Amino acid sequence: MSASDVNTEHPLELEAPRFSVKKPAVRYDKQGEVPDADRVQRAMQNFVRDFGRSAAIYMESCVHCGNCAEACHFYATTGDAKYTPIWKIEPFKQAYKREYGPFAWFYRALNLKSAVTVERLEEWQELIYDSCTVCGRCSLVCPMGIDIASLVSLARHGMAKAGLVPHELWAVAERGAKEGSPLGATPKVFKDRLEWLADDYEIDIPLDKAKADVLCTMSSIEIMKYPESIVATAKIMKHVGADWTFRLDGYEATNFGLLSGNADWQRDMSMKLIDAAIACGAKTLVLPECGHAYGALRWMGANLYGKPLPFRVVHIAEFMAEHVKSGKLKLKKVGKSVTFHDPCQISRRGGAIEAPREVLAALGVELREMEPSKGLNWCCGGGGGVVTIHRADALRYRVFQLKMNQIDETGAELPVTSCSNCRQTFDDGQAHFKWDKTMNSLLEMVADNLEGEAA
Amino acid sequence: MKGETMRNDDRDITLGEYLAARGVSRRAFLKFACSLASLMALPPSAGVAMAEAMAKSKRPSVLWFPFQECTGCTESITRSHEPTIESMIFDMISLDYQETLMAAAGHQSEAAREQAMKDNYGKYLLLIDGSVATGLDGAYSCIGGQTNLSWLVEAAKGAAAIIAIGSCAAYGGIPKANPNPTGARAVSDIVKDKPIVNIPGCPPIPAVLTGVLAHFLTFGSLPELDPLGRPKAFYGETIHDRCYRRPFYDQGRFAKTFDDEGARNGWCLYELGCKGPVTYNACATIKWNAGTSFPIQSGHGCLGCAEPDFWDKGSFYRPLSVAHWGDKATLGGAAAIGVALGAAAALAARRRQDKIAKGD
Amino acid sequence: MDLLSFARGPGMTWAVTIFVVGVLWKLAGLILLRARRDLSEARTPSAWTGLRAILTRSWPRRAFVHGTAFSEVLGYSFHIGFLFTLVFYLPHVLFFEDVFKGLLGVNFQKLFGVHWPYFSGGMVNFFGAVAVAALIALLVHRIVNPVKRLISNFDDYFSWLVTIAPLVTGMLAYGHVGAPYQTLIALHLLSVELLLVWFPFGKLMHTFTVFLSRGTQGMQFERKGATL
Repeated sequence: MSASDVNTEHPLELEAPRFSVKKPAVRYDKQGEVPDADRVQRAMQNFVRDFGRSAAIYMESCVHCGNCAEACHFYATTGDAKYTPIWKIEPFKQAYKREYGPFAWFYRALNLKSAVTVERLEEWQELIYDSCTVCGRCSLVCPMGIDIASLVSLARHGMAKAGLVPHELWAVAERGAKEGSPLGATPKVFKDRLEWLADDYEIDIPLDKAKADVLCTMSSIEIMKYPESIVATAKIMKHVGADWTFRLDGYEATNFGLLSGNADWQRDMSMKLIDAAIACGAKTLVLPECGHAYGALRWMGANLYGKPLPFRVVHIAEFMAEHVKSGKLKLKKVGKSVTFHDPCQISRRGGAIEAPREVLAALGVELREMEPSKGLNWCCGGGGGVVTIHRADALRYRVFQLKMNQIDETGAELPVTSCSNCRQTFDDGQAHFKWDKTMNSLLEMVADNLEGEAA
Repeated sequence: MKGETMRNDDRDITLGEYLAARGVSRRAFLKFACSLASLMALPPSAGVAMAEAMAKSKRPSVLWFPFQECTGCTESITRSHEPTIESMIFDMISLDYQETLMAAAGHQSEAAREQAMKDNYGKYLLLIDGSVATGLDGAYSCIGGQTNLSWLVEAAKGAAAIIAIGSCAAYGGIPKANPNPTGARAVSDIVKDKPIVNIPGCPPIPAVLTGVLAHFLTFGSLPELDPLGRPKAFYGETIHDRCYRRPFYDQGRFAKTFDDEGARNGWCLYELGCKGPVTYNACATIKWNAGTSFPIQSGHGCLGCAEPDFWDKGSFYRPLSVAHWGDKATLGGAAAIGVALGAAAALAARRRQDKIAKGD
Repeated sequence: MDLLSFARGPGMTWAVTIFVVGVLWKLAGLILLRARRDLSEARTPSAWTGLRAILTRSWPRRAFVHGTAFSEVLGYSFHIGFLFTLVFYLPHVLFFEDVFKGLLGVNFQKLFGVHWPYFSGGMVNFFGAVAVAALIALLVHRIVNPVKRLISNFDDYFSWLVTIAPLVTGMLAYGHVGAPYQTLIALHLLSVELLLVWFPFGKLMHTFTVFLSRGTQGMQFERKGATL
């Protein structure tokens, strides 16, 4: 591993079993040897660098009504006012007014908003990272229509450039940028996995085809923890007769550049996928069961590329739904009651709300919706990078109780989702609380119930 | 009796004797005194006290100087159809100079004036109507070759008190209206060292002068005045507060034109420009022409003539709440400046962004 | 010049001028910022339907009502009460009619054939009282509720003050309470002028930005088919 900015005071143990740190010492992670004044300046300016008219309008419009707190799972389960969503970006509101707003000159000349200090940014680290999954419920409740979630992502741009990211998140992001995967699923590891999976499951898994209609991608969580997803993908592609491939030059769908706020890494990670799709002339790029991957490529990809993408981008659930409709994906009936956990970035923020339900309908399950469901569903609490931050575990478990109650109340036998980070969060929560329900993957459920094939 | 020059010897008898000699019964005089007292919101016993005091008093010398005026105040004060309260003013006082009413003219009248001032130095009441012209050293308004201004300054020295009748004397009135070519000023702008009562109105209500004089005769002092020097008894409330059409104002019933259904129903005249809410006078209670009517009752909004500068406060027909400010040019200019500044700010922000992006 | 003449004349001119300059500066300064075009393939062909957020965001969705209803109801009580007094009271109607006619050349009666409606002083006073009561309740909530207390700043409290002042002075003037009418009406006008001067620089600008921010979220989310 080349030189890293990671702070060596606190050793990383990414492979070790997860544990809750009961009362972690207050810790402000920093990256790099940079004077504090510079950190602040970088934070403020890089927050503003990626601003546009929409962000400015949002920043101007807050009337301090406090409604956003009511929608946030971190506030709802703790009652702690500091988790109020708009409060999470408070230092950056100041930055906006000083650097970019219509009266910015006055704010600077008359020092109307005191310059943000590094202590304040350090204090805010936990609000911007540990207690925000960018789930977007706050954006929906805001009477002024402010997309608060997007502002938190923008704030992370500032924090990342200033080297003020929680250090496990930084470490995995850096690993992703330098090795190609945040969890060690390097191209070599991926290739090896594909080979043994193809062997073990006796299924063809094409890799690095020169030309293909469909480019499939995976998330490192699936590659390392739920490798059956790779097999499931291969089975479904074969079932519908798709001309598809994986490619070693673009397979990693997660984007820890986005999650940590490093805009350069975010662009690099997305461009890998885009370049790979172009290289093999793909007409469709299929994203795996991963939440933020959908937002990153489906909605942000073209803007990073600088032009409309020359191919379609769909989530695997959308791909399956399309093929259910066209009749190519034929499924056996599963006579069970199911409740669907809508991943925030795919349903609420991404717009692919009906696709998984169309697939579930084709599976003939009895669908029992949670309350609230679809776009208003509660977040699992692990997204946005939160699940990587160990010191946030206690907070995340409190939020998880909301999910357990929601699912228990439906009385459904099987909870199902189509995001492997949610799945990972559910697995961790299940272990912690010794819950009696295990989260299932929609992709794997479909692959297990293909008509005319053994499961 | 009005119209006659008062003879010197009449001044030595008391008012009571004077009135008795003219056939005014004691009963009539008592009734007069009591109605005056009630007008001034004094207790009933005051009416009797006033009658007794006035009866015993010597009639004070009063000099009435007309300055830059239209004689409307004189007309109002003297308007009567039969011997009325107003006519009795001239029986209570010894009116030693009044150009409209006195028989003498020219040098004779000036001689009478100078004599009266000399004989009653320090004790006479000075009544002024009309504004004081100060432009060209006062040359805009002269009597007998002398400026009003010099008359006022001279006469004020020996006056016990000065009564400024009408809005012109009280505030400068119509001659003072923009651009004030004659340099018209109020009496109180010129005289600073004597008690002054302002009785504004264009013209004022006759009973106000009567009341002030009666108070002076009875108590030897001027009645309680408001910050603008007006007797509180008559100028203590606005027309609006005593207007019989007030319930319509509260109910939201307003006449929109002078002959629409609202006007015919006697609704509030706010929309037609009535200045009643900001005008202090007794028109709504005492009314005019022996209580016959007042402008609002006759269907026209109050002009606000008892307030300073009523002529320069915008049209009589523009409602109180409408704009007295702004014009298209100012607002258009402001809008253009706002947009320009906003554009400049946005441009600066964009440049700053570019600089940051390059610097990375 | 006496206080009332100042308040009706130069005071109003300056206040309105600062208001116009400030509001347009703020709005132009926002609208003319770099708009980043979204190059992603839209799920919804025409995102203009997203502008419905301007209306729909006026009441929270069912899942959120429980936690927000109190503030929403009080907020509406204030806004409705305030707007009623502003817009349905004859002296105010005459003021606006004159501004529209004299400065903007728009004659409401000529355009629509009817006069702008107005109600009795008693009704207006009632709505004014509702607005004042709501404002007081909202201030108490802002101070007592931990979330609101944490996120509130000078702008919140000062904007509250300049909003309640015209209501209170207006009601005092209407009732001729506490001072001569001319003084009360002058104070009322001065309080309005203070509101106008502060308007562009604080959260009162939400009067205009609400359309921009709801509209922006509406269009951005609509094109993605995201939940709105």
